[in-house]
Amino acid sequence: MDFGLGHFIGLASVLFGIGAIGFLVRRNVLIQLMSIELMLNAVNLTLVAINRWMPGNHAGQVFAFFNIAIAAAEAAVGLAIVISVYRLKKSVQSDAVDLLKH
Amino acid sequence: MDFAIGWDFGRALMWIVLLPLFGALINGISGRFASRGLVRAVAIGSVAGAFALALACFVKLVALSGHGEDGGEGTTKLVHIVYDWFSVRVGDAVIPVRVALLMDHLSGVMTLVITGIGLLIHLYASSYMEEDPSYARFFTYLNLFTASMLILVLASNMPLMFVGWEGVGLCSYLLIGFWWENPTYAAAGKKAFVVNRIGDFGVLLGMFLLVATTASFEFAEINANASSLVVPLKLDSTHSIAFLTTATAACLCLFLGCAGKSAQLPLYVWLPDAMAGPTPVSALIHAATMVTAGVYLVVRLSGVFLMAPGAMAFIAIVGATTALFAASIALVQNQMKKILAYSTVSQLGFMFAGVGVGAFAGGFFHVFTHAFFKACLFLGAGSVMHAVHAHGDADLRELGGMKKFMPTTRWTFLLSCLAIAGFPLTSGFFSKDDILLGAAFIGTGPWAEYPSWVGWLVFVMLAAAAFMTAFYMFRLYFLAFEGEFRGGAAHAHAEHAHGDQTHDSHTDDSHGQDAHGHAAPHESPLAMTLPLIVLAVFAAVVGFLGLPHWLGLPNVWEHWLEPSIARLPLAEGAHVSAAIGATAMGVGTLVGLGGIGLAYTWYMKEDGATPARIEASMPRFHALLMDKWRVDEFYAFLFIRPMAWLARFAANFDKLFIDGLLTKLTSSLALAAGWLVTRFQTGALPAYGAVMVVGLAGIVWWFVVPHPSLEHAVRGTQVKLQAASGLGYEYRFDTNDDGDFETSWSGEREVEGTYEPRDFRAGAFVLTTLRPGQRDREVVLHEGEFFAFEASDLGPDWVREGTPGPNGAPAPAPNDTVPAIAWRIPVRDIFLPFAPRGGAAHETTREEAETIAERIASGASAIEIARARATNDEERNRLGALPEEDGVDGHVKLADGTEVHLEHGARVAIAESPRGVHVVALDPGEALLRPNGARVRVRGADVTEPETRLRPGEVAQVGNALVRVAAVVHATVQVRNAFGYTVDDTIEVVVQPERPASEARAEAGGGAQ
Repeated sequence: MDFGLGHFIGLASVLFGIGAIGFLVRRNVLIQLMSIELMLNAVNLTLVAINRWMPGNHAGQVFAFFNIAIAAAEAAVGLAIVISVYRLKKSVQSDAVDLLKH
Repeated sequence: MDFAIGWDFGRALMWIVLLPLFGALINGISGRFASRGLVRAVAIGSVAGAFALALACFVKLVALSGHGEDGGEGTTKLVHIVYDWFSVRVGDAVIPVRVALLMDHLSGVMTLVITGIGLLIHLYASSYMEEDPSYARFFTYLNLFTASMLILVLASNMPLMFVGWEGVGLCSYLLIGFWWENPTYAAAGKKAFVVNRIGDFGVLLGMFLLVATTASFEFAEINANASSLVVPLKLDSTHSIAFLTTATAACLCLFLGCAGKSAQLPLYVWLPDAMAGPTPVSALIHAATMVTAGVYLVVRLSGVFLMAPGAMAFIAIVGATTALFAASIALVQNQMKKILAYSTVSQLGFMFAGVGVGAFAGGFFHVFTHAFFKACLFLGAGSVMHAVHAHGDADLRELGGMKKFMPTTRWTFLLSCLAIAGFPLTSGFFSKDDILLGAAFIGTGPWAEYPSWVGWLVFVMLAAAAFMTAFYMFRLYFLAFEGEFRGGAAHAHAEHAHGDQTHDSHTDDSHGQDAHGHAAPHESPLAMTLPLIVLAVFAAVVGFLGLPHWLGLPNVWEHWLEPSIARLPLAEGAHVSAAIGATAMGVGTLVGLGGIGLAYTWYMKEDGATPARIEASMPRFHALLMDKWRVDEFYAFLFIRPMAWLARFAANFDKLFIDGLLTKLTSSLALAAGWLVTRFQTGALPAYGAVMVVGLAGIVWWFVVPHPSLEHAVRGTQVKLQAASGLGYEYRFDTNDDGDFETSWSGEREVEGTYEPRDFRAGAFVLTTLRPGQRDREVVLHEGEFFAFEASDLGPDWVREGTPGPNGAPAPAPNDTVPAIAWRIPVRDIFLPFAPRGGAAHETTREEAETIAERIASGASAIEIARARATNDEERNRLGALPEEDGVDGHVKLADGTEVHLEHGARVAIAESPRGVHVVALDPGEALLRPNGARVRVRGADVTEPETRLRPGEVAQVGNALVRVAAVVHATVQVRNAFGYTVDDTIEVVVQPERPASEARAEAGGGAQ
């Protein structure tokens, strides 16, 4: 079976959708962070796939690397926040943290 | 500038002004850090320098006028143009305003008085103010005043004079409120300032009137062109006031300013209160110099005032009334400075009465002599207050016998009292005599335009005022200096009996820790007595400058001023006779000596018994005089209270409406908006996430689905189509909506083309009416829509006479109301040829039409109806062979001529066609016009047939309206984006085909017949 750009885009869409829905419906901050990773990687997949099928330059590939690096940093910061929140609230549920409201 | 005079004297004029100005600057900036000695040196030095320069210039002036050889008349002045200030455009003329100084015979005298008396008073004040903490500030103001007064006097044009005029007003305000810590003093300063504003308004108006007519600001040119002012006062280019000349109006306006500055009725009220300032200020500003500025201005513009004898008579009467009025107040007052203040108002009244009766030299002579004796009197009063440590003012009831303690003050005071009372051979005697003589002389009628009765009225009033003057001055002298000293320990705490506003708070400082009242009064130091001596000597002798002419004595004063003052337009042979001269002098001497004698009898011999008896016999009148006729109370009631009410109203309006409603409302709106959006800040992370995802989806939708938004621009049948741009969009156009795309996919988003009749899809017309403000209307006749003509669209005479309406209805009347001629053309009236898909037209009766309508309403399709109505087999077979889905359309024609178009599957009701004009759209774009009784012209001829066809572009005139047949075309664009999504957009465009040129020519030919 031939794989075309459409397949990759489709896979990325599915991944992104799973990530988005997971981010919305789960309350565990750790799971939400994982969902964000899923969405990020869906985007990365789109970037490299489109770059593969439209190889004008390597911007897509390079961009994907940047994304990976930033995602690592984001995960580190995010996890640090989660640990801080856990020390404060004894919970990693996202709805436990609602101090920044009106 | 006459170069022969030499530039050094011009420069000197400038330095006369600049020296006191620099003195003020130096003391104002650095005086507070300097020692008193230094401040004193700068202040006195600058004025002394100015005095020396003024003296030098004056001597030069005397030398110039003494010699006829270097120009005689032409060199009676020194001029210095400092620089060009600005220019004003009046009509076509550009009038320059220069900073130019002018010393002529008039301003020369004034300059000497200002710098000379100013110098003496500076000297006096350097001792008098010794203990005041704001020593430098005082001398800053005093020097600034001197500079301003010199600008006022030396200015050669009105704007510069006004600078000085305002400058002295400012300094007066600053010095009256010098001890501003006391609120009554500050209020007195404000009062002076506000009252003077009213007058300044008059000065400005007068100046504008003068410059508008004479086209110059220069005093010399205004005086020279004064005769051009004797024209009715212009209100604008066409209206004028017949009974009021420009000269009279300008003089009255200027006099309003003079009344403010020189304390005349009704604006005198500020001057008595101005005694709140330190005594040297009262002497310099509010007696000797500034208050005489009004008289100076009148004398300066004597040429203009001579053109307005009515205004002069008014000034004379106001002056005499002021003199009498103020003197009556001074009769009963008990404070030294208060008496002197009212005396000043009274003497200023004398001066105005003098210039008002045309005795300009005499009135100005009184300015001159008054400067000496009144300055001396004020300084003498200050010396007395200094001696007894009086607060603010010295009460006569606590003085007495002062001659024992302070002989110098006593002798100088007595000399000045004699002068002001008009004791023979003193200066006041001669100057008052000049004024009385002037009044008596004008009373004999030597000037035809001047009302001579004013002269005698003024003469009598002035004589009475002079009598009162002599009386109250010697009452003051006897009570203060003669008899026994009545002061004691109590005087320091004495409250002033009648709400006196002039409280000096400083004089007890002058001797430091001296216990109040325990030390006996003593003579003042030399710095204070020296000016007294100088002034008293001058007060005694300067009168000899103005010896009466009629006795054959030389009047140096009048001769000296002659070049600066306009000559009265006297009748031939009019001169001052010995009888008039003797009357004036006799009356003057009599009232002076009489007043002194009465005061001596009452206060020296009887020790105040008679006045006390009179006072007891009419206590209410005495109280009225003590309260200064209650003018201040009257003004408070008439002006200040309404003003205060208005101010309170404005403040409350501001608080309630501006602050309350506008500010609070807007702020609460912002608060409400803020409250609303903070509701979304729940703090719940998933909520934020959800909102973010929704927004993201919106953005994705925007980019994924293309947005064509087709737009068009029409000119005739030429149409430009333009679709919206977007990332990666490709377009193709189907310009005539026939299903075939004329262009293939490309990035070009614009096409342009012309339409032909076969592209037309629906009917339309353009309606042009004569209704005002109504623009052309494009009316598109779609299926299912109606169009209504209105009577106002058609104009008044739209009915063709003798034509019956449709369906046998009566002919419409021209004045039918609008609803009766609101033509609703049902869309089903739109007649489309059956041709494209077969079918045939049939005559139909009304009953048939109703059956058809019923069947349509019940859901039958058009083809069924067509089959049912087929009249022959051939047609029936042809229709029967057509498949239902083909959508056979048909149309029926009703008996009344109405065509009914039937579409496959249509659901319509047959509307009864109303009477009136029909415009029916035909395909392709043609129109069927049924006048139905209306007056319709097509191709230059009235339409008489029941209907007529119009081709696209043709015009019919219906009533007064024009109907131009147009057509509707459809255009479609298809847009495809990078994702392959394709979206259509179809628009409807009304095009206006041109009429064939040949027909247009034919119509033009027909219309011409």
